[in-house]
Amino acid sequence: MLLYVFAIILTLTVLAYFHGSRRAASLSAFSDTPLHSRPAYHGAYVAIWAGLPSQVLVLLWVSLETAALDALIAGTLPDAETAALSSSERGLIVSEIKSVARGLIFGEPAPFIVDAAARYGEWQRIAAWCLAASAISLVLLGLAVSQRRITALFRARHRVERVLNGTMVLCSLAAIVTTFGIVISLAFEAFKFFQHVPISEFLFGLSWEPQIAIREDQVAGTGAFGAIPVFAGTFLISAIAMIVAVPVGLMSAVYLSEFARPGFRAIVKPLLEILAGVPTVVYGFFAVLVIAPALKSFGGDIGLPIASNSALAAGLVMGIMIIPFISSLSDDALRAVPQAMREGSLGLGATRAETVLQVLLPAALPGIMGGILLAASRAIGETMIVVMAAGLIATLTLDPLQSVTTVTVQIVTLLTGDTEFDSPKTLAAFALGLTLFVMTLCLNVAALRTVQKYREKYD
Amino acid sequence: MKLKSLTFGAVVSVTALLAAGQADARDRIQIVGSSTVFPYTQAVAEEFANNTGQAAPVVESTGTGGGMKIFCSGIGERTADITGASRAMKVSEWQLCNDNGVTDITEVLIGYDGLSIAVSRNGTALDLTKEQIYLALATEVPVNGELAPNPNRTWSDVDPSLPDMAIQVFGPPPTSGTRDAFVELAMREGCKDNAFFEALKVSMEKKEFKAYVKEHCSRMRQDGPFIEAGENDNLIVQRLDADPEAYGIFGYSFLFENSDRLQPVTVAGVAPGMDTIGDGSYTISRPLFFYIKNAHRGVIPGLEEFVEEYISETAMGPEGYLSERGLVVLPDDQREEVQNAAAGSSAMTRYTN
Amino acid sequence: MAAKRHSRRRHARERYLRIVGLSAVAAALGMLGLLVVSLTFLGHSAFVQTMVDVPINLSEELIDRGEPAKGNYRKIVTEGFLNLLPEIQARGERREAGKILSPGARWIIKAAVVANPNLIGTTHTFTLPLADPFDQLHKGVIPRDVPQDQRRVSDNQIAWFDHIAASGRISSPFNWGLFFNADSRFPELAGLAGAIAGSFYALLVCFVISFPVGIAAAVYLEEFAPRSRWTDLIEVNINNLAAVPSVVFGLLGLALLLNFLGMPRSAPLVGGITLALMTLPTIIITTRASLTAVPPSIREAAYGIGASRHQVVLHHVLPLALPGILTGAIIGLARALGETAPLLLIGMNAFITSASGGITDPATALPTQIFIWADSPERGFLARTSAAILVLLGFLVTMNGLAVYLRRRFEWQW
Repeated sequence: MLLYVFAIILTLTVLAYFHGSRRAASLSAFSDTPLHSRPAYHGAYVAIWAGLPSQVLVLLWVSLETAALDALIAGTLPDAETAALSSSERGLIVSEIKSVARGLIFGEPAPFIVDAAARYGEWQRIAAWCLAASAISLVLLGLAVSQRRITALFRARHRVERVLNGTMVLCSLAAIVTTFGIVISLAFEAFKFFQHVPISEFLFGLSWEPQIAIREDQVAGTGAFGAIPVFAGTFLISAIAMIVAVPVGLMSAVYLSEFARPGFRAIVKPLLEILAGVPTVVYGFFAVLVIAPALKSFGGDIGLPIASNSALAAGLVMGIMIIPFISSLSDDALRAVPQAMREGSLGLGATRAETVLQVLLPAALPGIMGGILLAASRAIGETMIVVMAAGLIATLTLDPLQSVTTVTVQIVTLLTGDTEFDSPKTLAAFALGLTLFVMTLCLNVAALRTVQKYREKYD
Repeated sequence: MKLKSLTFGAVVSVTALLAAGQADARDRIQIVGSSTVFPYTQAVAEEFANNTGQAAPVVESTGTGGGMKIFCSGIGERTADITGASRAMKVSEWQLCNDNGVTDITEVLIGYDGLSIAVSRNGTALDLTKEQIYLALATEVPVNGELAPNPNRTWSDVDPSLPDMAIQVFGPPPTSGTRDAFVELAMREGCKDNAFFEALKVSMEKKEFKAYVKEHCSRMRQDGPFIEAGENDNLIVQRLDADPEAYGIFGYSFLFENSDRLQPVTVAGVAPGMDTIGDGSYTISRPLFFYIKNAHRGVIPGLEEFVEEYISETAMGPEGYLSERGLVVLPDDQREEVQNAAAGSSAMTRYTN
Repeated sequence: MAAKRHSRRRHARERYLRIVGLSAVAAALGMLGLLVVSLTFLGHSAFVQTMVDVPINLSEELIDRGEPAKGNYRKIVTEGFLNLLPEIQARGERREAGKILSPGARWIIKAAVVANPNLIGTTHTFTLPLADPFDQLHKGVIPRDVPQDQRRVSDNQIAWFDHIAASGRISSPFNWGLFFNADSRFPELAGLAGAIAGSFYALLVCFVISFPVGIAAAVYLEEFAPRSRWTDLIEVNINNLAAVPSVVFGLLGLALLLNFLGMPRSAPLVGGITLALMTLPTIIITTRASLTAVPPSIREAAYGIGASRHQVVLHHVLPLALPGILTGAIIGLARALGETAPLLLIGMNAFITSASGGITDPATALPTQIFIWADSPERGFLARTSAAILVLLGFLVTMNGLAVYLRRRFEWQW
């Protein structure tokens, strides 16, 4: 039904467009005053009036209909059957009625339910017809009102452009709304968390043991929420990743932009970028299945005890993931150094290596730094690799061979599994999320600033 | 014009999506709960969907505690119909259920599961007593006549007869029923076998002693040798496979499933197995349950048939497909009792009398 | 002399830098190679499935013509299969031998009979999958030369399997089930249909939301917005959003869409919206880049013949920038396809044995399915996981290839 209504509105809107433009065209044919706007704009104007309000009506209707019908049908149930029931039990009866109305009968529903189901079906039909009638009359109303405005001097184009502008402004606010949504939802839950746990303890506490009892009669860990070890683990793994990725990425960029032949570059650069496109869950699988066992057996051979979920394995794989970020951002930075500087240096008799090391790299440094910061932000926020390959216990250590945990791992483990929403345990995930958000925000802003400033310098 | 048709297309699809997004009454069963019961529920869900042709149930593994929270959050379409549990429902959870209007619950005992400690086939199979398990994994143990933070780092610290090898045991987190059961069946029992506690037992009243044991023997150590490995037992299996010096605690069904890769640690000389768990000679074993929200029966399509499938002989019987996944089935008379209770949706009586 | 030595040293340093650079490139490519090779090595075996031809007697005694769905297919299949091994009589042995065939075989036969009731009363040869351990045995993953208690199959079963294999009934065709079956607890039956459907619906929602909104926002910011504090703020905001960790978007979806708005758990609708919010900044940024790439001469020419600002943008700039925009959108969607963490937080990781039928029907997605399978204990899932990863990578390569093609085919060189 809804689809039919929708199709009718659509057809009418299209018809309205042609009607409007035809009318405008005939106006110009029979009068001396030239049209202010081209006929298409008149058509669009009429179509907007015809289509938009009814579209909004349909959307509102659809989103409210179920709730309204449920409430109505619950109201008609015989008091004798529902008086003793709680509201959720009534809700259950309503869903039973709905199943019966859809023809999903099983067992033997009580007679009052069968009655109500028949009524429900009836009302659904009525509601659908009401929707169709009101939507179509709204289309026709809009059509009637707007087409009367069409005159040769009518500024249809301005009106249409204003609607377009409004839509575009709304769309560009989406990004703001998203950020706002993130901050609000994180801050709200984090605030609730800080009512259980003081903020100073969260930020400066040295022990993270969120294994607090989830029932009164359970004895578990003590429930400490000091986030320092978690952040330490995050930084340890990210640092390992950066140690892998920065030299490899930077040197690849230097080689590709300064030494490699164009053919080589054309093949290798997209290949490197594939590394950035590989989903992180794949890297996680790779870390667990290939890198971690390999490291462990290697450690066993040289007599080093390496944990099977060591920070090293996760960090190495994360480093591989980040190489292309660093290489492509450094490549951009190197290429943005003006050709004149390169040629000047070579012209003075410097070798290519000297040009790179003493002229290009210092000149491109701010851009490269920006890229590194962005990559670091990505490493800190990376989730799946560490969820699969890093540990769960928050150990405060700098030893890369041990197992550490990260912010993102904690968020995921706290929220999958026990999904009760008010315990400090789940709320802690939001506090961690908020801190993570703020941290990456600072890194991103700093990175974007440096990159931008640097670009301006040479542009 | 290209652009207008694009916007037009966008409007069309948004509305169509919203139209399609109108949720009708739920037609899939929702199941949450213990990761130990998960494989059994998974099997039943698959049989049910394929045999009856009804919509496949949605099965999520959330841990016993987490499952109870969701299950007890109320009745109605948005709440789960069934939760699996690797221990009986606790009083506090029963209370929570009651407070939220979930009063009519049927408890179904599916069978038993042993808790096994296992190690890779390349590792060393130990023979431990419960006391040794306690001494290796508790936060506090008696040192020189008083409780102190656990100093044992290697198995030989626990008992000189054990190998000189770092203690490294992967185990479940506290949301999991496996953890509760392990603490109850191994740690606290091991505690009571310890000379320090035996001495206390004489001097204390019974109730006081019980509380003391609960207070001091329930915490798993947090300083490294015991590693919480998340809700998912499979990950532990893979870790053990990769690391022959690591031990893991999980349900017997996982050991059964991976018997080619893992070997069990014997407890007081008895290895976990179908027979030893069934006759009770392997003492770390626990019952497995699932709980049905009776208010949803007859409302959620297929729930009745799903329960029937679960309690049928082809599922939980001695040669049923659940035993092929490692479930230790109930003795005949007990099974019949359970089947009748579940089919008649008799309310659980654990806390009502 | 000194100058010569000095120059030699300088050139040596040059060579040294060149070698370091080249080895960095080699290291990065080597990692890519290792990744692909190890995944292919692990996953290739899952693309074939060991099957056995079994003549099945669909007798009328066991299947009612009126209700073909209610037949005792378990018995029918077991008897048909054991007829291949007539020498086995003992009950325990029959049971043991029955495990060679996949437990899901009966559903395959049931589906065939329901689809074609005329089969009832005939004997028909079906090609049925073997159970996972025997699939692995046939592929050589399970070794034959270790003691019986260290592998999943007994010596007896191997003998029976070899007996059947000797009669030429075992075949290894391409594993279509990997693409057309939904999830299952039996590796030999498990497929990606549910995950592909879930990913498809989530991406559809994601595209429908992020594409129009992203383009409109970009056009506004690039072409119409007055330079002000507000637009600066929006810009910084968008650039930052593009770098916010994906797990934070998961938190947003959980807190806002699931808990506050009460949307259904595990639904592709919620996943799609979350992914759309994540993709939006990427689309805005690439759209703006392709809008700026349109040369001013086009704009000036349009203005010159009296077009309004909107006309310039909508009729001239935007169509010319469209290939670039599409490329950006496809790349954004490809990234959304591979995203896992936000989907885990909104519960798109349940076990469901049928493909999702719509955007509010619970489902898994490809990457979450990989995550689930990676955690499954059955040996067969190891290969399946790698195969699923290869499938996912295949999708991603196709999408990126499409993007590259679009760029090559339609991009103007100004």
